[in-house]
Amino acid sequence: MASNEDDFTARLMDDMDPVLLDFVKTKVNSFIKWDLVRFFHENPNTADTVENIAKYAGRNVTAVEPELEELVKDEIMRKSQLGDTFIYSLVTDESMRQLVDRFILACEDRHFRVKAVYHIIRGMR
Amino acid sequence: MDRVKTGITGLDEMLGGGFLRETANLIEGAPGTGKTTLGMQFIYNGIIQENEPGLIITFEEFPKQYYHDAAAFGWNFQELEKKGLLKVVMTSPEVSRLDVESVGGMIEGYVDQMGARRVVIDSMSHFSRLTQDPVELRSLEFNFINALKRERLTCLLTRESPVLLGEAYDDSSIGFVVDSYLILRYVEIESAIRKALLVLKMRGSDHAKDIRQYDITAQGFEVQSKFEGQEGILSGNPRRMAASFVEAFVKR
Repeated sequence: MASNEDDFTARLMDDMDPVLLDFVKTKVNSFIKWDLVRFFHENPNTADTVENIAKYAGRNVTAVEPELEELVKDEIMRKSQLGDTFIYSLVTDESMRQLVDRFILACEDRHFRVKAVYHIIRGMR
Repeated sequence: MDRVKTGITGLDEMLGGGFLRETANLIEGAPGTGKTTLGMQFIYNGIIQENEPGLIITFEEFPKQYYHDAAAFGWNFQELEKKGLLKVVMTSPEVSRLDVESVGGMIEGYVDQMGARRVVIDSMSHFSRLTQDPVELRSLEFNFINALKRERLTCLLTRESPVLLGEAYDDSSIGFVVDSYLILRYVEIESAIRKALLVLKMRGSDHAKDIRQYDITAQGFEVQSKFEGQEGILSGNPRRMAASFVEAFVKR
């Protein structure tokens, strides 16, 4: 019975723009990543160390670093090196920036946010 | 001499026509005196009135806050960014220092791509977190400013003054490194707080020596008339001339 209910909920929650659904399921699949993506959307020309980005996000550096690394792997963020220092910034690729814009814009809708939260929690199980 | 107009009412006249091109110009003041507003207006007027793209490098305030604050004056910074005429960059002193020292860094890239001619650094006070040694700090600031000048940028640097009213004790040496030095102060006159501006130094150019009133209006920073019949303005608590005359000569 519980399984059927789960399936029903999943079907309801899958009622999203497929591109954004994939974005949530495969890229912004944690709340820290969501925060980071929103921060870089609002402050798109930020370029800084993981320590400072963690401060800006009001998070612990040990929690932020692996998430930033995954965003780099997923080509949302860029990582560059200056001497011994690694700098993170949003990628300049226009299509990725537009996808981020679309995601943040969609998040203004409460129903979308609820569905995105559902998928993030489900992915964490 | 090639001048870089700020486009701010009254200020260009005080500066003899504007800042000298490719110089570093320091604006020092307490919180709320309008350093950032002056900086944003310098960049905005440069883009709109002089066709000179600009950069704002912030070490503390989020770019989102600049977009919001600029919009209050009717300046659409996000639109200017979309047009490639402006970048509001958030970073840290440690990263920006490394960046300008490297070849092909982020700031150099923006200068090349956008043709940026003006930059605001908000604020230089954050450099003090890089070192406790004043000699090293002066060297770091000197190198950073020179690197910006190398990119042929006219720089407006802000610096926080910890004192709200009265004369500030200052052990910083950045005043020696920059080409011009402007001070913004709160002044108490007849139980009201007003704001005062002084051009303390301007290397290679004449400038106004008097202390002027200014205000932040709906249009931005506006320099007004000089303080009449007052002395001791920079003390934050000026006296009327007549009272000081009496104090100096009559009460003896």
